Parts: sequence; structure tokens; C-alpha cells
Amino acid sequence: MIVMSEPFRNEPIAVGDLPQLRADSFVSVDPRFVWGQFAGLAGIAAVVVGVVALIVWRSDALFWPVLVGGIIVAVLVAISIAAFLEARRLAYQLREHDLSLRGGVIRHRVETIPFSRIQHVSVGRGVIERSLGLATLQVSSAGPDIAVPGLPVADAERIKEVVAARAGVDDEPPVDGAVNDWAPPPSPPPSAEPSP
Amino acid sequence: MIDLSQPQRQSPLAIVFLGLRAVRSLGVVQFVVLALFVVRGAADGRLLVVGVVAASGLAAMSVLSWWRYTFQLADGELVVTSGVLRVDRLSVDVGRIQSIAIEQELLHRLTDLVKVVIDTAGSSQAEFTIDAISRRVAEALRQQATTLAPDSPRVAPIEPARPAERVVFQHTPGRLAIAALTASPWAGLALLVPLLAIDQVVLEPITDQLSEWAPDADVGGLGWWLVPVVGVAIAVFVSLLNLGRIFLADWGLALRTDSTTLRRTSGLLSRTSTTSTVARVQVLVSRRNPLQRWAGLHDLHLSNVGQGDMRLVGCRDDELAATATIAGLTPVEDLPLDRRVHPAEIWLSVRNTTLIAAAAAAAGSLLIGWWALFAFALVAVVWWATRRHVRTHRWSLGSEVATSRLVISSSTQQALIRKANVVRVTQSIFERRRGLGRVEVVTAAGTIAIGMIPIDEARAVRDVIVHGVETDRRAWM
Repeated sequence: MIVMSEPFRNEPIAVGDLPQLRADSFVSVDPRFVWGQFAGLAGIAAVVVGVVALIVWRSDALFWPVLVGGIIVAVLVAISIAAFLEARRLAYQLREHDLSLRGGVIRHRVETIPFSRIQHVSVGRGVIERSLGLATLQVSSAGPDIAVPGLPVADAERIKEVVAARAGVDDEPPVDGAVNDWAPPPSPPPSAEPSP
Repeated sequence: MIDLSQPQRQSPLAIVFLGLRAVRSLGVVQFVVLALFVVRGAADGRLLVVGVVAASGLAAMSVLSWWRYTFQLADGELVVTSGVLRVDRLSVDVGRIQSIAIEQELLHRLTDLVKVVIDTAGSSQAEFTIDAISRRVAEALRQQATTLAPDSPRVAPIEPARPAERVVFQHTPGRLAIAALTASPWAGLALLVPLLAIDQVVLEPITDQLSEWAPDADVGGLGWWLVPVVGVAIAVFVSLLNLGRIFLADWGLALRTDSTTLRRTSGLLSRTSTTSTVARVQVLVSRRNPLQRWAGLHDLHLSNVGQGDMRLVGCRDDELAATATIAGLTPVEDLPLDRRVHPAEIWLSVRNTTLIAAAAAAAGSLLIGWWALFAFALVAVVWWATRRHVRTHRWSLGSEVATSRLVISSSTQQALIRKANVVRVTQSIFERRRGLGRVEVVTAAGTIAIGMIPIDEARAVRDVIVHGVETDRRAWM
């Protein structure tokens, strides 16, 4: 349903006057996040080495198991380096009206999701994250989703509350016309009935 | 007056529709192959028994599904109960009903029944479908649902009693024929896919028959003059396929609208009707190949939230403009497409293609010698195509983001900026060295990407779009 209680205004806006996503305002994820990544990869590497050792022990073959296992471990090391670099770049920025995530090693990327487009927000914690006291904030929209990993649990919960509250505010009936400001949302009107 | 407050069942003929739906979900081609397999005597008795048992099971499930499926209007809610082993009860507030579409496919026409598709706000696709009921019951359902929500404009009346609805355009058979003859020559080959899937069963006897008719045919001795003849034959063949495809799928193609909804109807054997609210339209794409440019036609694609995408073939400029206006977009000819992309894209494409061609030539030289150097011809083709792309690629940003490009075929993409769900700015290593970037506007049903623009401009686009999303409070879905 199209709501058009007032004619929609669309006055020219100087792009330079718009709030900008400042690079220095991004908050890096917790340094422990990279250790979590390493722990996961180390677990996989340990399983690979274990399987190779088992094959070598149970059979006379040595060359092929060691070669394949070595390649897998080398790939895991490469992934670890990429994960380390990714973790160093991974950062988020919470503004009044949107959440941004910065990441990418070879291709740098900054994704921004406005609060009014958020459908669902949740906090998830895997086994490794639980042991490190970290959590992942999962923000879903009708389009793509954004996941912010490596957040301290308290921060993740606080951000979730803020995002959920602001996304919920935008579910209220639309305000008349276009409001070209960035002020906080209006407080709800006082109750019509006096409280006892 | 039909009392819909009591549970209603579908017509008993719905058993057939339920069975056909089950067959479709399992795969029509597989069933055809199995049937031909059995008919040709390739199966022994045991497989036949398995087939009979499976068919009996399917029939029994269809009967039970029909028996368990009921619908009623009670306490302002449309309640649908279904399921054989597990009972599902779905209640929908009639105020949330976005549209009620009454459709008649081929089997419905033969049996004088209709299908009712009910779509609600808050779901990405049609909430549920009543497969086969009489038109009288369908009309009663529509009228009573509308009466229960008299002030709600969300209940969209449907054909034929739809006074507010107007026809935006309707294609004549002549227009469809032109659309088919100017369509991509390969599109019609889609008709052959099912045949290719069963080539062992269908095509093999045909080739066997041809071999019997002309056992001494020597294709190699027919000469080069045969090449243009074969080319013309292929062109005629694919054109006929296109005609068949478009006449079957788009016969009587019409777009209708009232103030809130768009409805597309078409089909020769099976009449389909797709309804979507205007707010659900996210991206409008128009494409045209050289033949279509010559004929002045466009192929349109409206990407909608959920599964209600609309494909509109063979539209003239005014029909494209009308469709864009209904979707709240600017007609293409009025778009201020004045921004360009950086020519560094030519260098990037040529460099990457040269590397690939060099690798291909090195590998190919082992097999075909110096002929492998022809791989570098690809570099010239890519250079020409990218140069043309850079010279013709335009984009603009206002209340909507739009891009236009032309290499051999042309296309335009448009989306209102308030439809953006996520805005992404990316930079590859190549782009970082040159201060360039790429911005992607991701909606709930498609992405518009603008690459190779100055990074400051890309960031400014993001800021404008984020600002637009947060300040434009009109419905976006």
C-alpha cells in the first residue's frame, strides 16, 4: 500500500552536507576474534594430520597421504593468513540510522544497511566464540544479510538492542512528508488514560 | 448466498489438479521418460507393478489431500486447513490480504472451474492457493473478504468486477509475432530442452528413420555452398521456435493496474495471471537487441519481492514509459543519464584477457602449433567491446538510480533509491591504485552496480542513498 498523506517533497540536497561514513569512526572487532579463527583452522589441521597419521600407520603408503595432507595443511595456513588480514580490516560503524561493516583483503568492501530495512537481528555464539567470550551479530534484511563477528558479548547484545529498537521504531506509521533531518525518532505520545 | 462461515471443500475435480501438482513437483520430464520407457517395452513386469503401486499411492494421496483441504471465513479471518499426515491450519486476517487473483488454466477452462491465489502483506509470495473451485464460490469468497474489510484498499478486487482497474497495454497477435521474430535467436531453443532430455527415446527413432530414407548421404561431399543454406535453415528453425514459445507463453499479454496493484495476464493453452502490488516492484530492467531496436520494441522485466517477477515482451517506448511511471520511475527517455565510468576499465579488461590468451596460446601451441596465436584475437574483441561499453555506459542518481549500457544489445536498469536494502562500496587492488571504486545498490529483488567510478563519487552515492532510504518514508515493499 502506498501511503501518501502529504505530497512527497524532494528538495535538492548538497551531497557534501550529508553525513559521511568517516573511515576513522570504524570500530575494529575484538582481537580475540583472530584467535578464534586460528583455533578453528588448527582444529581442522589437527584432524587432517590425525587422518594422515592413521593412514600411514595402517598401511605402507607414505608418499601420497603425506603429499595430500601437506597440501591441505598448506591451504589451511594460507587461509589462516587471509583470516588474520581479514580480521585486521574487519570493523563496524554504528550510526543513528544505519550499521556499516568494513572488510575484505584483496577487494575492500564497506556494506551499509539502513535500520529501516532491517527485518531481523540476532546474536549467535559458536563453541569457539563462547570460549572466547565473543558473539556474532546477524542482521537480516529483505535483501542480503550482514554478519558482524568477533564482538564482545555485551557489545553484541547492546548493539542488537539498539538496532532492534530503531528498526522497530521505523515500523511505526510513516510520518507526514519527508523529513530531511537526522534527529532521533520522536518519543511516543502520552497515554490517553491516566495511570491509576 | 454461499455461507463461507462453514468449512468449504474444493470441487472433487481438484483431486486431478492436486495429482498433477504432485507430478509436477516430482518432475514432468521424468514421468514422460518413464512412460515412454514402459510403452516401448523396456521395463519388465516388476517395474510395471512398482509404477502401478506408485500411481495408486499418488491417487490416494490426492484424494486425501482434497478431503482434508477446507477453507472458511470466520471472525474476520480466512482459515485454511490442510495436510494428510500433519494438519496445518493457516489463519489470515482479511485486512492483511493484498490481492485475490482468480485464474483459469487450460484444465480449469475445460472443467469450468477457477483457481484462487491469495496474497498477503508480509509474505514474500502468494500465501496460499485454492486449486479448483467454482467461479460462484470464488466470487463469493472475494466479495465476503472485501466486505469484512470495507475500508481497506489492500483487498484488491479482481476480474471481471474490477471497475477501478485499467488496461495499460495489451499485445495483439501481430505484435507478439514481431516480438518473437526479433527476440534472441537462442531463446526458442528452450523449447527443445525437454526433447534433449529424452533424446534416447524420441530423437533416436527419428535419426534411425532418416538413415533409412537416405542411407548413402555424404555430408562431406555436399560442398561449402551448403553452409549459408544450413544457416538460413537454422535461422528459420529458431524463429519458428521463438514464435511457438512466445505464442504459448505470452498470447494476449496484457498489463492492468489500479492504484495499488499490477496484474499481468497471458497464455494460450494455460492462462496465467500474476498480481503484485506496485510497492513490491524493486527494479525495472529493459533490454533490446539490434533487431528489437530496429523494430522499436523492448523486453521488460519487473523484479518484485517474492516470486512475482513480471516479464513483458515486445513493448513499445510508450508502453515502457507507462510501466515505469506506474512503478514510480522516470521514463527512460527522460532520465538524466549524464554520468560516465572511468576508461581504466578498458585497460583492465585488455590486460586480463591478454594474460588469459597468453596462457591459452602457450597451452594450445603444444597441440596446434602457431595456430594457437589466434587466441590473441580475443584481445581485440574484448578491447572493442569494453571500449564501446565505456563510451556508452551512463548512469544517474536522483530519486532513483539508473544505469544504461550498449555494446551489441542495450539495457537500462532503474530502481528507486528508497528500495535499497544494502549499499555496498568495494575496491579491488586495481581500483585502489587509481582511486576508483564500485557501488552496488542491493534491493530485495535485484542489484544495480556501477563500477569504475571515482571512489569519492562512489561514497557520495552511498551517502545519498542511505539518506534517501531514511528520509523517504513511503512504502518500499
